[in-house]
Amino acid sequence: MALNQLFFRKTVIAGTGLFLCIFLVVHLSANCILLLPEETARGLYNSYSTTLRESPLIKLVAYLLYLSIILHVIYALLITLRNRKASPQKYVMNNSKENSTWTSQNMGLIGTMILLFIVVHLANFWARIKLGMGEAVNLDAAGHVDVYEVTSALFHNIYYVIFYTVLAIPLALHLHHGFKSAFKTLGFYHKKGLRIVAKIALVYAIIMGVGFGIIPFIVYFK
Amino acid sequence: MQVTFKIWRQEGPNDKGAIKAYEVNGLTEDMSFLEALDHLNELLVLKDEKVIAYEYDCREGICGQCGVFINGRAHGPHDNMTTCQLHMRSFKDGDTIVVEPWRAASFPVLKDLIVDRSAFDRIIEQGAFISAKTGTAPEANAIPIPKEVSDRAMDAAACIGCGACVATCKNSSAALFTSAKINHLNGLPQGRTEEHKRVAEMTYQMEIEGFGSCTFTGACEVECPEGISIINIAEMNARVAKSKVFG
Ligand code: SF4
Ligand code: FES
Repeated sequence: MALNQLFFRKTVIAGTGLFLCIFLVVHLSANCILLLPEETARGLYNSYSTTLRESPLIKLVAYLLYLSIILHVIYALLITLRNRKASPQKYVMNNSKENSTWTSQNMGLIGTMILLFIVVHLANFWARIKLGMGEAVNLDAAGHVDVYEVTSALFHNIYYVIFYTVLAIPLALHLHHGFKSAFKTLGFYHKKGLRIVAKIALVYAIIMGVGFGIIPFIVYFK
Repeated sequence: MQVTFKIWRQEGPNDKGAIKAYEVNGLTEDMSFLEALDHLNELLVLKDEKVIAYEYDCREGICGQCGVFINGRAHGPHDNMTTCQLHMRSFKDGDTIVVEPWRAASFPVLKDLIVDRSAFDRIIEQGAFISAKTGTAPEANAIPIPKEVSDRAMDAAACIGCGACVATCKNSSAALFTSAKINHLNGLPQGRTEEHKRVAEMTYQMEIEGFGSCTFTGACEVECPEGISIINIAEMNARVAKSKVFG
């Protein structure tokens, strides 16, 4: 009998969301390599990305990652549609800012901005390096695919720098709300624990937002 | 004191409805909000116009009948308060006050500010009770219950079924209401024998009534007149998972 879609869908969103949160930590750590002096950064960055591309374990994780993003988006869309149907008529006057944050009221919009970012981001890197679309990518002195060059060239284009930096803002907002909600969705209901989770969510969101937002700038001025 | 009420008028469930403005004089600050509406209705009677339909019963914050949306918030500008506990001193002379019925697909408007909240009753019917015969009140200490456990159950039991949580939720989710009812009973030994069935059936009913899913905006716990904590929803989520595994 019980289908419990309401719970199932939210559980998928929360689970995939937390998995993506972990992924972002790894991603940002790798980005930090870009802050090293030019030649060290190039060598490390390229060998790191080559290792990733060649490891079968990472391949599995990568598929999990794609799957998570897709499920996260699909279920978010399904939930949004159902929730719209549940509240078809809006209030003439609604002061929701008095009882909740703007972020929590607009996760769908913010999520869509991030999705737009991911599409551009994949076109910038994944499509060129993995699918070989666009201009061919050279090899570096060690014979690794020169991903560093792709990154550095991209972040010497001020429009891309602005795009990457500005879209770190919705990312931070989304992570802040998403991280702490996920715990509640997954049934963590310890009062003090949730307060700690909320603090971690804030720190995490700031680190991710600032980290992803500022590195393109630093590379631009390097 | 003089205010302009902008009130949702709707003849019946199938009527389109619209906001209508009424300038009202002769109010005093110590009037309750409902008394101000009563006053307006008396003026309408004198003018031979149809009175505004709104609900109330106890007028002391315990029955949950009086819910309306006032100036963009459930039960008016204060946190954790019912409409009947709201007074005109919360407004200024010359203010415009917008009054609307609860908005949710599962709470259809019947007339003016009155909505049909029987979806809540149907959720209750699914298991917000204990089916065992309990007889007369037993000796208080016959079943030892730790203080925190009874406190948590009592806090959840405070829900008066007003519907503000649904009304204020952008998803029209009934999660706060349903979780309060479930946690109230499932937290106590008397309710535990039927815990999994209760969770499954009440949440299932909540779903087929067409309520949305909770995305933790947190608006509900701010507007809930009983201050039911949103942590109840997290606890309900845990109970749903538990009922799937053990139920
Ligand atoms: S949980 Fe609070 S807001 Fe919701 S119905 Fe109960 S008393 Fe009203
Ligand atoms: S009239 Fe009973 S709670 Fe307001």
